[in-house]
Amino acid sequence: MTPPATAAVPADPLAPMPLIAGHPSDAQLNTELLAPIFGPTPQAWKMMVGMAAMGTGLLFLGLTVTIARGIGMWGNNQPVGWAYDIINFVWWIGIGHAGTLISAILLLFQQKWRTSINRFAEAMTIFAVMQAAMFPLVHTGRPWFAIYWLFPYPSTMGVWPNFKSPLIWDVFAVSTYFTISLLFWYLGLIPDLATLRDTAKKKSQRIAYGIFALGWKGSSRHWQHYRIGYLILAGISTPLVLSVHSIVSFDFAVSLLPGWHTTIFPPYFVAGAVFGGFAMVLTLVIPARKAFRFENVITNRHLENMAKVMLVTSMIVGYGYLMENFIAWYCGNPYEAYLFFKTRPFGHYAAIYWIMLACNVLVPQTFWWKKARTNVAWLWVASILVGLGMWAERFVIIVISLSRDFLPSSWGNYAPTWVDWCIFVGTLSFFSLLFLLFLRFVPSVAVAEVKELNHEMQHEKAHAGEHA
Amino acid sequence: MPSMKSLPVIQDEPRAPGHRSLWQSVEELEARAAVSRGEFAAGAAEVPPELSRRSFMQILGASAALGGLAACQPPREKIVPFVHEPPEDRPGKRFHYATALSFDGYATGLLVGAADGRPVKVEGNPAHPASLGASSTWEQGALLDLYDPERARGIWRKGQPLSWRGFLAEIQQLAKVHDADGGARLAFLLAPDASPTQADLLRRIQARFPKARFHAWAPITEENAAEGARIAFGRPLDARPSLDAARAILSLDADFLSGHGESLRLTREFARHREPGAGMNRLYVAEPAMSLTGANADHRFRMRGTEVASFARAVAVKLGVVPIAPALSPELALAAKAVAADLSANRGRSLVLAGARQPPAVHALAHAMNAALGNVGVTVTYSRPVLGEAAPSAASLPALAKEIQAGKVDTLVITAWNPAHAAPAGLDFGALLAKVPNAVYHSIREDETSRRCSWRVAASHPFESWGDGRSRGGVASLVQPLIAPLYESVSTIDLLASFLGQGDRGAMQHVKAYWMARSAIDPAFFEPQWERWLRQGVVPGTAEASETALVDVAAVASSLGRLSLPKGDGVELAFAPSYGLFDGRFGTNAWLQELPDPITKVSWDNAAYLSEATAKRLGVADGQVATLALGNRSVQAPLKVMPGHADDAVTLALGYGRSDGSAVSKGVGVDAYPLRDAGAWFAPGLSVKAGKGKHKFAIAQGHFGMEGRPLALDFTSEKWGHAEGGGELEHLRGMPATLQVPVDYSKQEYSWGMSVDLSRCTGCNGCVIACQEENNIATVGKEQVAKGRIMHWIRTDRYFSGPAADPETITQPVMCQQCETAPCEYVCPVNATVHSEEGLNEMVYNRCVGTRYCSNNCPYKVRRFNFLNWRPEVPNVQTLLFNPDVTVRSRGVMEKCTYCVQRIEGARIDARAGGKKIGFVQTACQQACPAEAIVFGNLNDPQSRVRKLHDDARRYDLLHELGTRPRTAYLVKIRNPNPELA
Repeated sequence: MTPPATAAVPADPLAPMPLIAGHPSDAQLNTELLAPIFGPTPQAWKMMVGMAAMGTGLLFLGLTVTIARGIGMWGNNQPVGWAYDIINFVWWIGIGHAGTLISAILLLFQQKWRTSINRFAEAMTIFAVMQAAMFPLVHTGRPWFAIYWLFPYPSTMGVWPNFKSPLIWDVFAVSTYFTISLLFWYLGLIPDLATLRDTAKKKSQRIAYGIFALGWKGSSRHWQHYRIGYLILAGISTPLVLSVHSIVSFDFAVSLLPGWHTTIFPPYFVAGAVFGGFAMVLTLVIPARKAFRFENVITNRHLENMAKVMLVTSMIVGYGYLMENFIAWYCGNPYEAYLFFKTRPFGHYAAIYWIMLACNVLVPQTFWWKKARTNVAWLWVASILVGLGMWAERFVIIVISLSRDFLPSSWGNYAPTWVDWCIFVGTLSFFSLLFLLFLRFVPSVAVAEVKELNHEMQHEKAHAGEHA
Repeated sequence: MPSMKSLPVIQDEPRAPGHRSLWQSVEELEARAAVSRGEFAAGAAEVPPELSRRSFMQILGASAALGGLAACQPPREKIVPFVHEPPEDRPGKRFHYATALSFDGYATGLLVGAADGRPVKVEGNPAHPASLGASSTWEQGALLDLYDPERARGIWRKGQPLSWRGFLAEIQQLAKVHDADGGARLAFLLAPDASPTQADLLRRIQARFPKARFHAWAPITEENAAEGARIAFGRPLDARPSLDAARAILSLDADFLSGHGESLRLTREFARHREPGAGMNRLYVAEPAMSLTGANADHRFRMRGTEVASFARAVAVKLGVVPIAPALSPELALAAKAVAADLSANRGRSLVLAGARQPPAVHALAHAMNAALGNVGVTVTYSRPVLGEAAPSAASLPALAKEIQAGKVDTLVITAWNPAHAAPAGLDFGALLAKVPNAVYHSIREDETSRRCSWRVAASHPFESWGDGRSRGGVASLVQPLIAPLYESVSTIDLLASFLGQGDRGAMQHVKAYWMARSAIDPAFFEPQWERWLRQGVVPGTAEASETALVDVAAVASSLGRLSLPKGDGVELAFAPSYGLFDGRFGTNAWLQELPDPITKVSWDNAAYLSEATAKRLGVADGQVATLALGNRSVQAPLKVMPGHADDAVTLALGYGRSDGSAVSKGVGVDAYPLRDAGAWFAPGLSVKAGKGKHKFAIAQGHFGMEGRPLALDFTSEKWGHAEGGGELEHLRGMPATLQVPVDYSKQEYSWGMSVDLSRCTGCNGCVIACQEENNIATVGKEQVAKGRIMHWIRTDRYFSGPAADPETITQPVMCQQCETAPCEYVCPVNATVHSEEGLNEMVYNRCVGTRYCSNNCPYKVRRFNFLNWRPEVPNVQTLLFNPDVTVRSRGVMEKCTYCVQRIEGARIDARAGGKKIGFVQTACQQACPAEAIVFGNLNDPQSRVRKLHDDARRYDLLHELGTRPRTAYLVKIRNPNPELA
């Protein structure tokens, strides 16, 4: 057992901070990382679960009212056919992106720092996609038909979905993404579930975790198959990160509405998704690592790296905004010009537009400074602001564009109703509820991967950088 | 039941030449002739040899109820089902019957379409001079009234139901009592009606009760016009304008394109001369609030209502009709000069019209000007008043009130609409009614008046009863029922006849007997005549002959001298009939309540309209609730700034703010009657005090400007000459540049298309209600309209341009453009909206899951979504309203204009059965349009009108650059301004 040594921190100020603080042993890591599962139920956790459950109740209330009475319970109208429903859909699916990016892409690029946060991120992805996937169904006027008419099934009437419609692409993209993300997450969990099975004290826990561990024994044969499978899933997931949000952006880009009809949408949406996703990871990880004392494995270096990713994606998003405006001016189309230079900055919803710009473009600019990147409190606040900004961005794109389209005679504003708020707050709560349950019952940090990284780091240290 | 023969239905029927144009096919006509001949046979005690067409009532399940009611109704006309159905008749087959609907005393001829024995669509009768095939919002709306579940039913005396026989016996009793003193204590308060049979009955009642008083009354009258004619000609004459020959028209506050009994004809004549060229007319309008006519003017002069007289006088001075010019603002003086010059330049082809709101002197002056301009006999003719004794007078109600006050009335029979509500200010007529021992109120609905009357007699709807009527100009029409009364109710004729002891003779017998006597045809030969009249919808030879009338210029001048001019700069209140509800009688009609005002687009409300400058001066704001006070009378009304309203004036529409009626009418808008003196139109000295609170209007179109976009295009006639030559519209039509290979529709037999002529469209909204009726479109209520969920498939977009104080107006009907490359189609995930081979953009309701993506991607925003179930519970009776050819949509489904695909398919079925090509198909909007602005047809037929209009020089496509290739073409509006006023 190696004693923890702060002296191990490199003296070079330009060298990165370590990914795992100290030199913990495997057993130490086990105890530390599995503590939230085997420890007593914290009072705060119970309270938070209670609140989240109540919020989830609002979601089900909102959905029940919607399905019983109709979409008219929302504020949607003519011309604003889509509003909170699709804003929430795009927002949640965007949040879902960071998970796959961290797990799959960073894995393929062998970015070691992903190890401690990938489980968080993957769980977040799955829970966020679950929120998002609700909307394509419940936003329809007749979900009881939409639930199967949107899928290509061999109907006796010979009726197929319209494969030209981006909404059908959405159905395929989102369902594929959810399936792959779930498998990826689960596969990554298997060694840790086996650890849980082996370390659990209660029989019920051993049985439960045992079932899900699928008989994992940690043999090298298992590890070999596991590695291959994990890499294959990572390979499949990687294009999905790009495709899912590109396809979501097609919902808009393929139309002819000013503000939607924009070729820059696919990359700009993907960047926005990664941006918003990382912000959500930060929003969740910062309190969680504090509560469960994971500072040793989720170090400031992780946080700083995420801040850097946010800075980059924020600038891509900012470039997207700039290009949208430039093209609106350059194309000389009066409908585009009116939307971009009148409606958005000075119209009925101007405040939301300026919130979007402030949160998505200005706030991340602070991350040029290391001080800002390493200030955990600021990071947390900034991540929440970015989440808000990304939500505002979807509002700007969806509601503002619809409210002022071609014929001024049809212009109209949108105002959310209590049902809209119930559903929005409800998805936040349901997401939190799932996340809290995840923190309590599943290792929120990939224990096996951290151990592996720990060994690698010690190995590397012993060889004094020979492997670099 | 006695055995009934199956009837030989197809018989040879002599047809007048040209008469056939009314019908779509000979078979149909013959079937109709055969069926209508069997209508309600004489005697009625025995089963008639030929049977009625109303065979389907029983299928509809209404027969049970009616069977029960039959016992308490007179043995009027029996309605018996067919034993053997005529072969032409098949379920769902539409039959049209000619009838007429009287509005404010004058009849408009209609063809009402009945499916399976129930009327489902009102259409104009092309043979009727007041309709010419078109129909207005009010005639269309009458159908909804028929099926109103809240209609009055039964006969009640002091809260006790009476049977029909019991009622007759009671009336008999009453009549006997009144016989004693010659009817000195008997009075009638009648709705204006030119019905000859009613007039005849009233004459006979008067003969029986020589001392009885007959008051004709309505909240809105044309007394000023009658009085004006009396001044000018020394006798009352009806002036009948004709716009066909008129090249310069001056309207002195005359809103002749709407509301007027002849607005359909006048709109047609006006619109026919709005195409560029030498025959184009020019319209000048002087008025306070922007009216529909004002919105269509080439020059509109806004001024307070009482200033119109001065303006008219200034014009008359320039024409040399009267001396002494009044004081006018320099702009108006200049305008008057230019107008006078234009009128005299068009001597014999000009026309001056005075509005019903203007004082008699202005009407007299208009007559004098027309005479001086040589217009008489060309653009205006005079004839004996059609209403005659039945002409309503505002003063009759206060006069009657005095009689009641003096205890001189024991029995009062009221057929006038709701006097307790619409009584002039300060006259609590409702309270007085309670003093009348026998106040008999005959009305189609329970309202403010029926609550106060000791007798309530439910009135039959005009579509349920026999009668007759006369149009302006005197042409008589027979009113025939389309359905047996849905509720126990009494027609006006039956009610009046009961005072002659003939209540159980049946209205048809009265009408028939009257016309038999009048026509002086041998009774043996009368029947074929009668049936021809019924079928044609008009009685020939009944028009009033035009009379020569000489204007007494001195009398006109002296009446002008007596006219008191507005003094000071106080605010003037103007009352106006509402475009939806008229004087309030349509208050219970949800279609008309929801129909947006053509100018302000306010739905489910009236408001105090005022100009922006006046609002600023008074320190009030749009939407604010204010106290409008005239002396010690006041009402609380929300304010609305109306572009083009005269300064220092406020306009408040009548007909809203009902305290009773039904769920539809109650509490909607503000009641203006408490401010209104009997017959008053303009009241000086209005005080406007801003109150607390902001009113939430339900406005169907919130944005008035076009933002410089090429949407509803207009040119002046002068500029159009250059534009046409310069090909200014070329970039707005034709095939847009595209990489796709366009679908070739030219090989199809049919390729449906439409054209909308903005130069003709006046924005009257007739198309909107016709579409609503044809296509089973739901009303959604004020709250949902405010949320932006109005369901109309066709809307009339109205844009203002120029200064807000005095804007130019353009209206543009917009419905689904049936794009050839429709943006809605490719985005639908379930293929619920697809393209037909004939170019229709079809909506498959069954398949729609309601993603609303199609609506988001529709640049014209013509799609309508069922956000909620707009018809959670349809009362049984209202299910009869639905057009059986059109699906009734439920919630969660998108809907939109289909180009009346059900009519196309109906025509296709008929054509196939006859082995012919589809001939003539009209959409509902086109059919109703009095201006002939909407034309529909086959674009692949080089002879079709729509093909020619698509190739017109004025044609352009809305949002052409999007490449949607709409099948609906628009024709630019041409304005014809006077170069002198430019």
